[in-house]
Amino acid sequence: MHRFLRLSFMLVGMFIATGCYATDTTLPITTADDLGPQIDQPIEFPHNRHAGLHNPADDADPSKPATGGMEINCMYCHTYARRSMVAGIPPLRKCIGCHQSILSVRETPRIKKLFEYWDAKKPVPWKKVHDLPDFVRFNHERHIQRFVFQQGKPVQEACGYCHGDIKTMTVARRQKPISMGWCAECHQKDHLVDATSTKTSHGPNDCFTCHK
Amino acid sequence: MIENGFNRRDFLKVLGWGGTAVALSGCGNTSIEDGKETVVSYVEPTDFMIPSIGVYYNSTCAQCDAGCNIEGRVREGRVLKLEGNPASSINRGKLCGLGQAGVQAHYNPDRLREPLLRNGDKGEAITWEKALTLINEKLNGLKGQEIAFLTGGVSGHVKVLLNNYLDALGSKNHYAYEPVSPSVVRAANKKAYGVEMPRLHLDKAKVIVSFGADFLGAWISPVHFSQQYAQFRKGSRPEGRGILVQIESKMTLTGANADRWIPIRPGTEGILAMGIINALGAGVPADVAAAAKDYTSDRVSDHTGVPAAQIIKLAEVLKANSPSLVLAGSAAEGYVHGSQNAAAIALLNQVLGNVGRTVDASINLQDTRLMPATGNRAALQVLNDNMAQGQFKVLFSFGTNPVYTAPAALKFQENLKKVSFKVAFSHYMDETALQADLVLPLDSALEDWGTSVPEYLVDPYLSIQQPLMENLNPDTHGVGDILLSLLKQRLAEAYKPYDDFYSFLRSAMVLNKAALGGTGTDDDTFWNDTLGNARVKLPATVANLSPRATASTLNLPSPAREIGAYPLRLIPSVSASMRDGRHANLSWLQESPDPLTTVVWDSWVEIHPKTAAKLGIVEGDIVEVTSPNGSVKSQAYLFPGIHPDAVSMPLGYGHEAMGRYAKDTGANVFKILDPAFDKETGELAINETNVRINKIGKRVVIVKEEGPNGGSQLGRKKIAVKVASNKVDLSKEV
Repeated sequence: MHRFLRLSFMLVGMFIATGCYATDTTLPITTADDLGPQIDQPIEFPHNRHAGLHNPADDADPSKPATGGMEINCMYCHTYARRSMVAGIPPLRKCIGCHQSILSVRETPRIKKLFEYWDAKKPVPWKKVHDLPDFVRFNHERHIQRFVFQQGKPVQEACGYCHGDIKTMTVARRQKPISMGWCAECHQKDHLVDATSTKTSHGPNDCFTCHK
Repeated sequence: MIENGFNRRDFLKVLGWGGTAVALSGCGNTSIEDGKETVVSYVEPTDFMIPSIGVYYNSTCAQCDAGCNIEGRVREGRVLKLEGNPASSINRGKLCGLGQAGVQAHYNPDRLREPLLRNGDKGEAITWEKALTLINEKLNGLKGQEIAFLTGGVSGHVKVLLNNYLDALGSKNHYAYEPVSPSVVRAANKKAYGVEMPRLHLDKAKVIVSFGADFLGAWISPVHFSQQYAQFRKGSRPEGRGILVQIESKMTLTGANADRWIPIRPGTEGILAMGIINALGAGVPADVAAAAKDYTSDRVSDHTGVPAAQIIKLAEVLKANSPSLVLAGSAAEGYVHGSQNAAAIALLNQVLGNVGRTVDASINLQDTRLMPATGNRAALQVLNDNMAQGQFKVLFSFGTNPVYTAPAALKFQENLKKVSFKVAFSHYMDETALQADLVLPLDSALEDWGTSVPEYLVDPYLSIQQPLMENLNPDTHGVGDILLSLLKQRLAEAYKPYDDFYSFLRSAMVLNKAALGGTGTDDDTFWNDTLGNARVKLPATVANLSPRATASTLNLPSPAREIGAYPLRLIPSVSASMRDGRHANLSWLQESPDPLTTVVWDSWVEIHPKTAAKLGIVEGDIVEVTSPNGSVKSQAYLFPGIHPDAVSMPLGYGHEAMGRYAKDTGANVFKILDPAFDKETGELAINETNVRINKIGKRVVIVKEEGPNGGSQLGRKKIAVKVASNKVDLSKEV
């Protein structure tokens, strides 16, 4: 009995501890446990090259030569995220728009493949990395408007709540569980109404908000 | 005992806890399927195309001949929903259920996908080149009179191309056939008012007396009339709320909405109209009064079954409320003397002084080539007779399904076999396409280009039908494109400038842009504006009304009492969603309950409860309805909204082919109709069939929306107080 009680206390304690941790602290952007599967894409798109920091070191000296990414805003390519339910995979024309002038990488295998698609006027058959079930309706526009435009959060942070630290990845990989409990957990938190206000509000808790 | 370890019981408990923990953490992740589906982006998007946000394009509905203007919601290149175009003068932003189901006609799983050539009993897929070459070979060496083209109602530029093609072949044999068409009313209107399709102003009338015109359901342009009806019923209009009286043997949707529904003995509508003229008394022109003098209310009451007091009351109401409007619909026309009925009703309109007030002149387009070739049944008769004599070697058919809709007595299918090469332009493998030697699959109305001018023309506008999305199947073609390809075989030089039907349409419109209100704009702007609106005003004049209805030629037979082998009158009903059966394969229409009986997914036999009691029939009995031409079986539905001497079955069910939803759903009433025709127009007298009813000893539970008490629910709850129909003061009944 003694042993059993000890065991139960330990388990209950662990649950409470992880529960408190989960609700009270900001989740780390990447938790190894929640990683989705590695997905092979037709072109291994380097997110780190496009969105990564110019100079990744903490004490980066602006005078030093660039080492990393281009620091392109997520919404430059995923332009529909702020206007629509879906973030949208960028149209092929967007890729070509820049890459036709970037001659330094024009002959690399990935860019050659990109231009093959463009010449054939065929879209790249990307695989979905974050594929919610059909009975869930997630709206990108609401979240981006709230966090980026009302609260003034940095774009990469706002996107990162769900997508993780994309700027360090090549091909995107799911970083969060994206389960109902995980969504609801964030919806229960107090969020500032906008950048200047001290008022807070919760995310909606209606079934119909997502399941319609 | 094992030292320093868990015993078995503890082990199981921990396993239980652990299992629960694993189950909890696993919850909710199971349905995420990363990396399985492909997400396709645009290659070169237009700026306004945002994924998940709908874009609306205007077009024209092709579900029936009313030609309503629609707008379709398109998302990610797929059309999702149709609504009415608010700028339209026909439907003003509204759309009926039939129109809504246009999406299903487009995404239908049973659509034809490639040209099929007959090989014994099977269709063999061939290429378009081969199909068109084959048509050319078959036509070579034929005389014009050996070639015929059978269509439904066609108008606009497709009709122009069709006529040009027939001219190129030297043929004059264009047969426009519609199984349920208002052709008797057309002829009667022409005689009485000088125009075939006068514009009606239901919204200006104080009283409407409708003899079986189901203008809210399936009559001519129901969405347009529904809007007028809404105005007519508004208490706030200067004339006050209008009164609607519906006189018919079988209750229609309009009848169900009427203030007073008067059941009448089938076929005596003309007699009642004359009886009302007689009851009007003073103010009726002398010659008409003389012709009506024999129609005393007692005699009329005896013939029609309408109480004499009610006839007098009706006349009083009509006299006190001017302008009124009297309509003749299919229920009054579908008899051997249908034209006489319609003429008597038109005469009543004229006597009441409605012509020029609620009955208005129609519009004549300057370019008559675009006017619709209105379909009627007489055309099918001529075609059938000529086929029987073996006149035709090649027959094209498009937009109509005569093998299904022709009464069995015509032997249409047998006569069709005498045509050596039959080409069907079709969306589905319907009954007519099954008999064809070559079947050409058509684009859906949401994939195709076209123009249309409805027969009931509210304003002189040409409606433009444009693709709302790319072709679902690469191997279907638009009817205009096919005609153009066929024309190029004959007149290669003249049609060389046009790559496809789109370029033909564009140049036809742009060349005439001055007449179409495009003066001073460049071609592209004019064309883009036209497509944006999907309607363009045509030069037109208003026809002259010449009221000249006369009583002198009227010849209304007294009703024959039906006794003997076939004691009941069969009244086939045209339902708002099923119509003549052309859309029977749309499951939305099959599952939307009939407005009056609420039956779904099947046909039924409407029987008056009194008649049913005499025959010992209860709801759900499978009955055999037998006419001299054959019999059909269906479920009995007891319905007080029908004359006791009549039974009714809906048209459009009972297909033998056409697709998974249409096939074997219900029974085909067309097959058992008598080959009786209106004496003046040759139109099929649809209500002239007498039948008998037998139980076959099987009973089913009718699948319907209404509760178990059915129509008697109202009576049980004593919501409505029953008042004998002749005691009701119609003028106060609102």
